[in-house]
Amino acid sequence: MNNNHFSFKIIGVFTLLFAFSSCSKTESVEPAKPLEAKTVSNLTADLVTIDPATGRASGGTNRFTLFSFATNAVVANTDSASNKWDVGFRGTTIIVNGGAIRTGQGGAFIFTGLFDELKEVPTTATFAQDASPTSLAIPSASGMGWYNYNPMANAITPIAGRILVIRTGDGKFAKMEILNYYKDSPAVITQASLSRHYTFRYMYQADGSKKLQ
Amino acid sequence: MKYSLFILLIICFSASYAQDKNIQDSLKTKELGEVVVTATRTEKMLSAVPMPVLVISQQQIRAMGSLRLNEVLQEQTGLAIQTNHGNGIQMQGMNPDYTLILIDGEPLIGRTAGTLELSRLAVGNIKQIEIVKGPSSSLYGSEALAGVVNIITENSKITKGTLSSRYGTNNTLDMSGSFNFRKNKFGAYLFANRYSTGGYALVPQTFGQTVAPFYNYTLQGKFNYDFSEKLKLTFSSRYFIENQENKFDAGTPESPIFVAGNGQAKDINLNPILHYRISNRWKTQLRVYNSIYETNSQVNYLKTNEIYDKTFFRQTFLRPEIQTEYFLSEKHIFTFGVGKIWESVEATRYEGTKRFSTNYAFFQYEVLPIKKLNLIFGGRFDNHSSYGSQLSPKLSAQYEITPKIALRASTGVGFKAPDFRQLYLNFNNAIAGYSVFGTEELPNALAQLQTQNQLAEILLSPTEIGNLKAESSIAYNLGLKLRPSEKLTINLNFFRNDISNLIETQVFARKTNGQNVFSYRNLNQVFTQGGEIDLSYKIHQNFTFFAGYQFLQAKDKKVVEQIENGELFRRDPQTLAVSRVTQKEYGGLFGRSRNMLNVKLFYENQKHGIAANLRGIYRGKYGLGDRNGNLVLDEASEYVAGYFTWNLSVSKELWNKKIRLQSGIDNLFDQKDPQNIPNLAGRLIWTSINFQISKN
Repeated sequence: MNNNHFSFKIIGVFTLLFAFSSCSKTESVEPAKPLEAKTVSNLTADLVTIDPATGRASGGTNRFTLFSFATNAVVANTDSASNKWDVGFRGTTIIVNGGAIRTGQGGAFIFTGLFDELKEVPTTATFAQDASPTSLAIPSASGMGWYNYNPMANAITPIAGRILVIRTGDGKFAKMEILNYYKDSPAVITQASLSRHYTFRYMYQADGSKKLQ
Repeated sequence: MKYSLFILLIICFSASYAQDKNIQDSLKTKELGEVVVTATRTEKMLSAVPMPVLVISQQQIRAMGSLRLNEVLQEQTGLAIQTNHGNGIQMQGMNPDYTLILIDGEPLIGRTAGTLELSRLAVGNIKQIEIVKGPSSSLYGSEALAGVVNIITENSKITKGTLSSRYGTNNTLDMSGSFNFRKNKFGAYLFANRYSTGGYALVPQTFGQTVAPFYNYTLQGKFNYDFSEKLKLTFSSRYFIENQENKFDAGTPESPIFVAGNGQAKDINLNPILHYRISNRWKTQLRVYNSIYETNSQVNYLKTNEIYDKTFFRQTFLRPEIQTEYFLSEKHIFTFGVGKIWESVEATRYEGTKRFSTNYAFFQYEVLPIKKLNLIFGGRFDNHSSYGSQLSPKLSAQYEITPKIALRASTGVGFKAPDFRQLYLNFNNAIAGYSVFGTEELPNALAQLQTQNQLAEILLSPTEIGNLKAESSIAYNLGLKLRPSEKLTINLNFFRNDISNLIETQVFARKTNGQNVFSYRNLNQVFTQGGEIDLSYKIHQNFTFFAGYQFLQAKDKKVVEQIENGELFRRDPQTLAVSRVTQKEYGGLFGRSRNMLNVKLFYENQKHGIAANLRGIYRGKYGLGDRNGNLVLDEASEYVAGYFTWNLSVSKELWNKKIRLQSGIDNLFDQKDPQNIPNLAGRLIWTSINFQISKN
């Protein structure tokens, strides 16, 4: 809606209705193709074996699983020093491809709200980057980044309503929502649930604009 | 629930039936004469105390047939048992950590994860229990934030003795004896108790019981000698020892690891007190309280007999204190006190012996500017060796509007000092691989882990958080005491507590083995507010009806704010769909019942020596734990359903009241919830006999 139409708003209901109808007319000329939300299930993030008796983990490689939104696929670790990947997963840590310790132009902004409510990267959004292993764009502490840790249940759950707005390795935008951290997204997390299996959905804007719907 | 409603109807019906009979009230209600000491640290008529105080008399405890303190407290208005490493008491919606438990005015030590196990206390030798709600840090310092429970034990006034024994379900056997001796200037009171139980298993198919078998002994001695009318010496001592067998499965049902062993807890209290009445106006007391609490436990693998876990814990507390009262006139009373506390802890999970000390001073001024108005100003200053100082003022007032209506109000500051665990814990769980450090240990511990290459990343720097501060509260209590008639007493109280700097566990770093390093920080702000009503009505010369109700709201302020801003969400674990949490859906802090109710009908026929009572306790639904990942109580599946327990007891006195037989059923309708309420044993049937031996 442009400013001319906006000034009509105060005149009266009819004018307003008219303004809306004319507005939709002009927009219908170039219909925006809605972006597709894709869901990735059970993306493993440096799998470890957990001793059922002790809860202790072993057997990890300490490597991140790198992922590209554009190709909807995992990127080999050999390409870690490139801008081919956008986000990386290892345990509960999620990294972006940007900052002092990365090669790409990436960054992250955490939006609080619903996935569908975020239609565009907010103009006020400030993108943080991975400055050092202890200072990541997406804080890896419980309650401060994307997940909550419940010590009573020994469970990691993604914080509902936290949307990770990602600037990709090559400077484009995407939004992503972590849905589950356990294999096959169990409704109840038990001792038998296998962790480090990410299920998430994302929407990627390939045209370089900030539109995310 | 069906039964409960039925019984409720019967009680109400019989109450109204008895009311119809026009019978003269011969017995004066006893409240008028009741003297309490806890609220002001001076002897005071209950009716004149301007704070909410509840008194449970020996007579009432005896009528209930209770054996341990938790049994008595859980039936009182506004109190609930909260289980976390033991059975503690929740008062005005606050965790057991915030209620100070005293015996004859002296604090009990030995808390596990903040909870003082109430079943450590036998109630066979109790004169009365006084419960002061609202903060009393102005007199007692740390821990008296939610309130104070003071157990007043018997005194030796005449020479007499008692013997009693009780046996019931789960092989629970209790044996008690007491002996009172008084000769001229010397008095002695001795009490001995043995309690044993086979425990119970709510889930019989698992290895080990819900409550393992245990036995304990309590020995108590109180001696006094009057040098003169002016100078008196009292010496109180208490010894408690408990042994518990432990068996459990340390593995999973698929790959069990059976372990078994023994645990022991010991508790010693010694307290010499010198009373000196300088003049009619000056009264001084010097007390040197000393307490030791100790636990030892060892659990071995059943298969190999190797040690699975071996721990010890030893805490000491020494406190000399001098307290002086000065009566300027009947209208102006001053109380002063100074003292010092030395505390130490030595344990498996601590590096060496940790010590801290507190210097403190308190004062109180009671004034009656006009006959109907009673004002109390007080305050205490505590200076602690490791976290700093704390000032806790309090102001209370009572105004007698008419002889039948009194209005009372109080406001005060309460605090709880960071405890040993929060400051000095140094615990590496060798089996699971995680670590927990007190804030004083954390910087060094992190540095050490760093040099050992065990640290993957630091998530939160200790310097960023700063020193741990005391948890503190500001509280308001406003109430009415009504005595519309000799038969009816109504107590009404509204409360609000704003607690800040709550100490919470926080992950500070992650280790290379994937486990976390935990420590503590001041984080949350919560409030609790509500109202309670207590009613006692003598419906007939033999029947008394009591009822109590508490309405409670307890919420985390940050959560309320997040919801206000539309920033708190939940994800449906099945559909993974996300929605906003509304204020209405937010159920507040876990473990708090919005509604709690008790109804009690007591019957006593002195002529025939027969007594009986029926008590119904309702605990409304409360939050058990988070299920949808937002750590907040906001969904129906996260609650435990409300429930009634009904307790019944009857007694008969024989042989000129020298023998008393009593029998009862606790949890009459076998209310159980093995998954959610493990401390709720099923139906318990018991019977007891009591002998009185006296000179005349």
